[in-house]
Amino acid sequence: MTIYSCAPNWEAMLTCIYIARMSGIGHKNLQLMVEPLEQISFLDDYIHVEPDSALAEKVIEAITRKISPGFYASLAYCSAAYEPETLDTIYRVMLLGFAYGPQALDMLQYREVMRFQQISRRVGREICGFREFTRFHSMPGGAYIAHIEPKSRIVTALAPHFSDRMPSEHWMIADDIHREVIVHPKDSPFFLWNPTEEEFSDLLVSEAANDDYTDLWRAFFDSIAIKERANARCQRNLFPEWMRKHAVEFIH
Amino acid sequence: MNGLQLQKTLEEKLIILSDAAKYDVACTSSGVDRAGKEGFLGNSCAAGICHSFAADGRCISLLKILMTNHCTYDCKYCKNRRSNDIPRATFTPDEICALTVEFYKRNYIEGLFLSSGILGTPDNTMEKICEALRLLRTKYRFNGYIHVKAIPGASQELLYSAGLLADRISINMELPTMQSLSTLAPNKSMAGILRPMNQISETIADHRLAIGKDARMERAGINRHLMNSIFGPDTDRISSKKSEQEKLSLLTASNALSVPAERIDRDLKRPFAPAGQSTQMIIGASGETDLELIKTTQSLYRSFDLKRVFYSGYIPLNEDSALPSLDTPVPLLREHRLYQADWLLRFYGFHAEELLSEETPFFNDKIDPKCDWAVHHLDRFPVEVNKASYDELLRVPGIGPTGVKRIMQARRYGSVTFEMLKQMRITLKRAQYFITCNGKMLNRIPIEEKFITGQLTMLEAPERAQITESGNSMTQLNLFTDFHLTQMAAHG
Repeated sequence: MTIYSCAPNWEAMLTCIYIARMSGIGHKNLQLMVEPLEQISFLDDYIHVEPDSALAEKVIEAITRKISPGFYASLAYCSAAYEPETLDTIYRVMLLGFAYGPQALDMLQYREVMRFQQISRRVGREICGFREFTRFHSMPGGAYIAHIEPKSRIVTALAPHFSDRMPSEHWMIADDIHREVIVHPKDSPFFLWNPTEEEFSDLLVSEAANDDYTDLWRAFFDSIAIKERANARCQRNLFPEWMRKHAVEFIH
Repeated sequence: MNGLQLQKTLEEKLIILSDAAKYDVACTSSGVDRAGKEGFLGNSCAAGICHSFAADGRCISLLKILMTNHCTYDCKYCKNRRSNDIPRATFTPDEICALTVEFYKRNYIEGLFLSSGILGTPDNTMEKICEALRLLRTKYRFNGYIHVKAIPGASQELLYSAGLLADRISINMELPTMQSLSTLAPNKSMAGILRPMNQISETIADHRLAIGKDARMERAGINRHLMNSIFGPDTDRISSKKSEQEKLSLLTASNALSVPAERIDRDLKRPFAPAGQSTQMIIGASGETDLELIKTTQSLYRSFDLKRVFYSGYIPLNEDSALPSLDTPVPLLREHRLYQADWLLRFYGFHAEELLSEETPFFNDKIDPKCDWAVHHLDRFPVEVNKASYDELLRVPGIGPTGVKRIMQARRYGSVTFEMLKQMRITLKRAQYFITCNGKMLNRIPIEEKFITGQLTMLEAPERAQITESGNSMTQLNLFTDFHLTQMAAHG
């Protein structure tokens, strides 16, 4: 088995898909993975692929023209997932797309399509979770900053929602795990910023800046619960503890 | 008298007025899709967004507060009734607006839920509520979700203003029968609740017709495939039975609310309650059966086109001979069963009469209403997953609207197997007794009512235990404290 591996970003993934597709060694004899590789086997050959924007664009063009733009959007959405088999699943689904057209995504009889849909749904739930549980902190100068620690690279998927929600505010969302930051200047489009380690450590300090409204929110959060109906298990099911790391109501 | 404090801080007011509002169940921010706009704060998402979950497991989507907990009414079940000696507070409109906007910017909430005790007269209260909402929409340029409680007895113009400023408007029915309402809420009357409910419903319909929409509210997409759903064409709604000519004349019909100043204010050109209307009923404070409750719910959906009916398990707060005693446990399981039945009405095409009858007016506490219906209608099962219609599949326990959509999607390109159903997240441990895939059941089991009921009862036991135990201060027995072994151990 030949394993093609690449960095965990969409451009590198598309380049990896291009290289694997054009390798000519047969789809059954290759596998695509995102780095870092968790377990390396001495029975497999490993080929590292560097991102190449020209090759990535060729893949995008082929998918959008020969299958559909919607199909491409579905693949890109799924690529945010952290599951190790994500890239390989995307590759297999893309091959089915070339064979059957955009309806390949509905062919749940194929294991790879079923897995693709499962991963996409999980990413969707994670995005939904952080849309709910992201907490902003007020900064001097009227800006707001939020820190999140998601499993998947979802910060770019969160940005359109918050951009629509607060179009006339300065705000930032920092993904502390993947070191990606969305910056939204007031009344302007948002952009993705990859800060250096030093810049990122400056950002981390911002979370300590709590104001009166944070305390008011905590007071509200405590008083709104009905003690006769206390149900910590239900609360944990709906608001998992791994998502609470930056939720101010749980940090006292 | 150094403890005397005339001015309460904002935090003290927030604690008092959120504590007073927490018995209102509705905290949904759903029903309206509205994009944000430059210069304003906020948008709205049709599915609704929960922002946190409180210690009781209920979602916190909106800043749920009362404008004041002063009240001239003396409803027996209510914590804020006039005769109770509790700390009282009143928010100013600016305080309400500042809290909403600042919480919203920090992504703590999706909007505001504003209710109130009766401050003097219903009109006076409603006027102050409208004042706060108007300030929030204009000065604070808030474009997020607002749910407002309509005060029964308030004038039509004020109700109309509230509907234009808010996204959802609701009037609490509290008790489903006239008799229990007169016993427990002597200041309220059934006519005083149903009249404004009907007027709001008609006004929503008028506004929808005026912008080219159907008079009835949008319902879950699955209802399009269900011919016999309670939202079907033969609904009791008055507007749906009218001809086009009559529909047009509805715009000036006397049933709708009178037009206030907001109607001609260009800055407030908003639809009337685009997220519809809802209500809430208290469960367990009076002697209604589940059948009465679920029938009332169904008629509210059909006649007044309510978007939601909420149930609130009665929590004993006041001592009164007309109320259950203070040590009565909260009827959590009964409330859960009613919500399950409500979902069956809204998403599964069931009717109230199919779920309960005069002979069995209460839901089975051992198994959920859908399983209960299925085991009593075994003649309809098993259904073949690869051939059954939407309606048939939705009646299988363990299969919901999402599962049905996935099955239908997969069926277009080949047959569906049990392995696929498992991966589609269909609950096979329930569904296996009622379905076949390509003519075969998952296991060779007898299709007998007693056997299947026993199996399903066993499956539901952990969930049932969790619901009944939560909140009823049930704790694990402790050998030392419960059996006084500490003293024995001390004595050697």
